[in-house]
Amino acid sequence: MWKSIIYKEWIKVRWYLIMLTVFGLLVLGVIFLEVQHDKIFSNANNYWYAILFNGLQYYSILKFIPLLMGIVFAFAQFYPEIVNKRIKLTFHLPLNEDKVILIMLLFGIAGLAISYGIMILLFLGASNFFFAKEIVNAALISVTPWFLAGFGVYFLLSTIILEPVWLYRILYTLVTILFIPLYLVDSVSGGYGPVNLPLVFLTIIISVSLLFSAYRFRKGEM
Amino acid sequence: MDNVIECNNLSHYYGKKLVYKNLSFHVKEGSILGLLGKNGTGKTTTINILNGFLHPSGGECIIYGDNSQHLTPQTKSRMGFLIEGHIQYSFMNIYQIEKFYSGFYPNWKSEPYWDLMSKLKVSPKQKISTMSCGQQSQVALGLILAQDSDLMILDDFSMGLDPGYRRLFIDYLRAYAKAENKTIFTTSHIIQDMERLIDDVLIMDYDQVLAQCPVEEFMNEFKQFNFDLENDAVDLSKEDFVVNFEKIKNKVELYTYKEESFVHNYLDKAGITYKNFVQIKMGLEDAFIGLTGKY
Repeated sequence: MWKSIIYKEWIKVRWYLIMLTVFGLLVLGVIFLEVQHDKIFSNANNYWYAILFNGLQYYSILKFIPLLMGIVFAFAQFYPEIVNKRIKLTFHLPLNEDKVILIMLLFGIAGLAISYGIMILLFLGASNFFFAKEIVNAALISVTPWFLAGFGVYFLLSTIILEPVWLYRILYTLVTILFIPLYLVDSVSGGYGPVNLPLVFLTIIISVSLLFSAYRFRKGEM
Repeated sequence: MDNVIECNNLSHYYGKKLVYKNLSFHVKEGSILGLLGKNGTGKTTTINILNGFLHPSGGECIIYGDNSQHLTPQTKSRMGFLIEGHIQYSFMNIYQIEKFYSGFYPNWKSEPYWDLMSKLKVSPKQKISTMSCGQQSQVALGLILAQDSDLMILDDFSMGLDPGYRRLFIDYLRAYAKAENKTIFTTSHIIQDMERLIDDVLIMDYDQVLAQCPVEEFMNEFKQFNFDLENDAVDLSKEDFVVNFEKIKNKVELYTYKEESFVHNYLDKAGITYKNFVQIKMGLEDAFIGLTGKY
């Protein structure tokens, strides 16, 4: 049965997922074309100096990309479920309702993780080609919360989309507006090191928020 | 015969607005029950409670021994559900949706589904969202038939369908239900359709049940008499035996469960003069309007 749920989710999001991943790769392409350009035109020594001592983040345009991907992915996966209250069909399937939602959520996490994973691997690979290990490690620490923001916004937006009670919707929207910037505070390269682990835990905690909206939907709250 | 559905003392409010109070009914195995009522009398509310999508303010519904608020996957696998407007996963095509649902039901029978699909003039990869209402209704019906559920709950199945599709839907459904001893609980705005389909009727008005019995019994016992009054000031609407009294000038439509002789005797004893007294043969729709009123 879980295979059927995954099949449905795949049909809904496949083109979005492919397009978002391609978009992410294009952004990486732009980043490293710029790196190549700046390294040549600014002289490698000056460029490295700017990165090490002037706080230049060669990957800064990546900042909002995972966030944008999380937003689009949440809409692609959950908006079709609330059109004409189609989620009723999903809840009527012969499976425990919480289990259905968790499978959908796990699919979403896996989809985003694959897309982000490809991006991160290519980012690290290309960074290693141009820079020393220390610079790449610091960059990885800096981009981690941006990708976590993508997961965070996916969880919270899914909750908002599925939420049947407008008051809760507004409340969740406020939480999202206040919560997501935590992942995106400007910092020097590697500056997020001490808080990345707490951010991972926070993201895991909000991952189950969708279950509350789904419960209210099932009980007919308006 | 066992009851598939048993609803006891069901009550529901939306905020402070009462939908109904202490509604009790049951649906026997192998029967087709039609829930009729005007808009806002609680038909979809009842369907939502039955499927566990709404928590009633009071009372409970038991389906195959499960409280409808906590349906087990086993019970849900025995229930087919048609949402008002034949809502389905319209981002899929007819192949994808069949593949999707077949994974959930061990008794899945694809034959009736493809039988119905063969009647549709759709291309294999056409998304359901691009089909007409009638075609979408056939997809929804085909899926319920393939599911081979023991109980089918159909919310306003005739909505948006043209007469041909409605007839096809009803004839197919009734033949299937009777041949396979399936139970159906259904609502529809188009009462004429129900007459061809249902065995038992439950007629609801605002916050009360007006009738609950086999259709045949209802049609035999509920009567319409038309006559012309000599004195058009006469008002019989408050009389105990009168279910509904419609009067335009001196022309009367009187609805009652009493026999013709009773009405004659009453009018004679009350000294009410009348002429052109005639019993009107009613269809289910006429009887429904007679019972619930035109307004």
